[in-house]
Amino acid sequence: MDERDKIKGQNELQEMVLNTKLCTGCGACIELCPYFKSYKGRTAILFPCTLTQGRCFAFCPKVEVDLDKLSQGSFGKPYGDSPLGSYQTIMVSKAGEKVDNTGFQAGGTVSSLTLFALKKGYVDGAVLTDRDGLLPVPRFITNPEDVFTCASSKYTAAPTLSALNRAISKGFRKIGIVATPCQALAIALMRSNPLKDNDFIDPTGLVIGIFCTWAMDFRAFEGFLSARVNISGIKKIDIPPPPAEVMEIFMKRGKKITIPLDEVRALILEGCSYCIDMTAEFSDISVGVLEGHPGMNTLIVRTERGQEIVDNAIQEGYIMASAIPEEKLQHLIWASLNKKRRALIKAKQEEMLNKEGNGTFLRLRAEVLEKLIA
Amino acid sequence: MSNLTDNREGTQYLLMGNEAIARGALEAGVNVASGYPGTPSSEIIESLAKVAKERNLYVEWSANEKVALEVAAAASFAKLRSLCAMKQVGVNVASDFLLHLGLSGTRGGMVLVTCDDPGALSSSNEGPSRYFARMFEIPLLEPGDFQEAKDMTKWAFELSEELKNVVMVRSVTRVSHASGNVRLGKLLETKSRAKFKYDGSSLDADEGPAESVPVGEKHRLQQEKLKTATKFFEQSPFNTYHGPEKPELLIITASAGNLYTREAISLLGAEDRVGLLKLGTTWPLPPRLLKRYLSTTDKIMFVEEVLPFLEENVKVLAAENAREVGVKTFYGKNEGAIPKTGELNPDIVVSALCKILKIDYLAMDPEYEKKLQMPTIAGVPERARTFCPGCPHRASFWSIHNALQMDNRKGFVCGDIGCYAMGRFPCGFETTKTLHAMGSGAGLASGFGKLAQFGMDQPVLAVCGDSTFFHAVMPALVNAVHHKSNITLVVLDNSGTAMTGFQPHPGLPVNAMGNKVPCVDIAKVCEAIGAKVEIKDPFDLEETQQTLNRLLEDKQGVKVLILQQACALSPEKRHTKQYEMHIDENLCLGEDCGCNRLCTRIFQCPGLVWDKDKKKARIDEALCVGCGVCSLICPAGAIKRKEVA
Repeated sequence: MDERDKIKGQNELQEMVLNTKLCTGCGACIELCPYFKSYKGRTAILFPCTLTQGRCFAFCPKVEVDLDKLSQGSFGKPYGDSPLGSYQTIMVSKAGEKVDNTGFQAGGTVSSLTLFALKKGYVDGAVLTDRDGLLPVPRFITNPEDVFTCASSKYTAAPTLSALNRAISKGFRKIGIVATPCQALAIALMRSNPLKDNDFIDPTGLVIGIFCTWAMDFRAFEGFLSARVNISGIKKIDIPPPPAEVMEIFMKRGKKITIPLDEVRALILEGCSYCIDMTAEFSDISVGVLEGHPGMNTLIVRTERGQEIVDNAIQEGYIMASAIPEEKLQHLIWASLNKKRRALIKAKQEEMLNKEGNGTFLRLRAEVLEKLIA
Repeated sequence: MSNLTDNREGTQYLLMGNEAIARGALEAGVNVASGYPGTPSSEIIESLAKVAKERNLYVEWSANEKVALEVAAAASFAKLRSLCAMKQVGVNVASDFLLHLGLSGTRGGMVLVTCDDPGALSSSNEGPSRYFARMFEIPLLEPGDFQEAKDMTKWAFELSEELKNVVMVRSVTRVSHASGNVRLGKLLETKSRAKFKYDGSSLDADEGPAESVPVGEKHRLQQEKLKTATKFFEQSPFNTYHGPEKPELLIITASAGNLYTREAISLLGAEDRVGLLKLGTTWPLPPRLLKRYLSTTDKIMFVEEVLPFLEENVKVLAAENAREVGVKTFYGKNEGAIPKTGELNPDIVVSALCKILKIDYLAMDPEYEKKLQMPTIAGVPERARTFCPGCPHRASFWSIHNALQMDNRKGFVCGDIGCYAMGRFPCGFETTKTLHAMGSGAGLASGFGKLAQFGMDQPVLAVCGDSTFFHAVMPALVNAVHHKSNITLVVLDNSGTAMTGFQPHPGLPVNAMGNKVPCVDIAKVCEAIGAKVEIKDPFDLEETQQTLNRLLEDKQGVKVLILQQACALSPEKRHTKQYEMHIDENLCLGEDCGCNRLCTRIFQCPGLVWDKDKKKARIDEALCVGCGVCSLICPAGAIKRKEVA
């Protein structure tokens, strides 16, 4: 069977992803056509589309994802049992001396690399996630100075890829993207040219993945917070690394409100519970916080172009990097594997893996699956 | 000079039924006419408004039918002759006052004309109004042709003054909207001195206060008036009989049934076998007349539309007089020869007659009928009901639909009466989910908006037009505000009573007679009631949708969004274009992923055409009115608009 035959249209996407609540609102289906819109974190279908095949389905990271095929395309080898995915080097890093710290969270590696890639022309624009009040807002910037306006973590799902789709439709072909794991997966799907478009050109210049354990439903979070604080008075939200187990809300007037993480976990998107990827395995570079070191990042370099940019960024003083301590690496592997195992066991129990025919959630080799959940 | 004011007695004109009714009122010297627009009644008031200055009339489009009836009654109480016109649903609205009016009685001749819509060709129901006459004990006349429409209306004024009560004249679509020859009578010069006398006793019908109390006395008096009416009806020339002395079958009919039956009898050549009793005075029935004709045969058939009003009343009379008239076999709605719903036509009457009289009749050779239908079926393109090109409702529903989809909480719209009732069809993106009476959208929304207590979390919207707002939405809005119902009311303000032909309403600066009048500002009314009000242009799709989403999330009480954009057919907009439109075929994505014919498959403005050969969208120059909205929906920016200089 032609691989393309597995790709369906809006109807099936609605049935298999939206109705089943697998959707994490990544934005891969937004701005491709007039039928999908993202509003306050949720994906809505405005009108039915009658096409039997569409990019919406082809790019969706929650349906018919063949990990072997994707890994083959991205890394030249099948999807293995490494808990951190395919990579070249792992380091710890932070912003270099060329970068003023102006309000980024953790070590500033993401903002610094984005800035560097823009300044040096590795990318001609960057897709980032800004904020309007609490609401994450996708943004496409071309001016390096705008990078830091978008810095800081967002804990609710954002349709960031809608800005990528918009930038592509405007003709940009060297786009940098800061993406969550599901978004990075969608970008990998896009880059695999699933519909075998003859004029296809890879529109990305750099994909920076960010570690993610889960995201909350924006509306649920907004409702949750508005019952506790005046939302317009919030300055910053942070989840300090374990074992704190809290979410901290910093108010503009100086007050700090601490919310037990368990209360917040009730607001996590259902789709996140099926996610097997903590470290954004399908990116060029993955960045996360370094446990126990609030001012540092973990940096995973996965591809050639990722390595080139990281090397040059170090050389030119945009980031500083050093070897990762073994115990930190072991902890990262443990945390990442934990997420994989939880999600795979759940998906397996619900018979969502490797289904015959088409429309399965995820495909991966049986032996890899068994190893990961063992 | 209009045909309607031609004072040469005996002159014949081809008049529409509604014009004939208006002429009848002029021949009766009517002074005041009021109504609320509604198909098929609107031309009566429109015709009278046109000659208002010439004939020194006062004519108004009232805020609703109840007010219209009250306005007309006031004239009657002041000893003027007045006419009030409305469609069948209007009588429901006016019925509360009508019940009381029947008790209080009238002074100057007063006629209520109701135009029913069997088959609901232009209505949301086909509810018959005739039962009101029986229920409220007032006389009912039904013209059986166009001449009678005029003559009966004129006589209704005289009868009203004889009885001192309101007289109801009931027409139907095929009488009101068809045309026939009418021989004119003399115009009566209007007497113009109005005075309301109230110093007499409460039972003084001419000079006492006008009121329905004391009920016991007034009710008894009212029933005596009906008895008097019966006496007039026994002699009335509007009840006619054609046919043999002893027919095989007696048909009793009225109104348009008369036209259909005459045609059916003639088609079948059954003139010698069938007697046709056409009644013009249908409530109260003249018993002596009916006994006479019931006695001529054993088989009786009723031909009337929708509910069996005549049938029931005649059967009661026949039962009461069974000893004299004998036992009958009845054909009609209860027996099944005539359907109980929908319009009649000569074919239905023909087939009923054929069955009863055992006539073999082939209206049309089936082969020929098939042949006849071939070119029509093949040549007529499929067309769904839709909004006109450039209709602001399409743009409004587009934004409402999209806002609700994006909101994603299964929100819905309570619909109302107007062109926008089509909001439930694809042209309105199937947005409205309830449809009942005028103002019911806002009333239902008011109720839905209180159900959060029982776990309902769906956003609730209502739509209404500008005329409907004044007609019946205001009390519902007051209710919603007072009870803190969480709703959004969208007023689709297209500056006129568009569906019925741009009759003015209280929101406009001109009245039925073309005079300048103060207009009532919908936004200010809503604000005064206590709603949060915003005004937007529905042609600004993005702004409208964003406003709607914001309002849907506002959980505090009643929000009103007024979407102002005149109807594309309104006199001020017609034949003007804001934009020249064209499609850049190089940009048009057609059926490709990324568009899939959004403009011609979903938006479906008739001004947009799908070119099957080129696989591109095209502007239909003949239909496009240049509103420019489609350029805002095109995902590829292929629909271009250029401001007309």
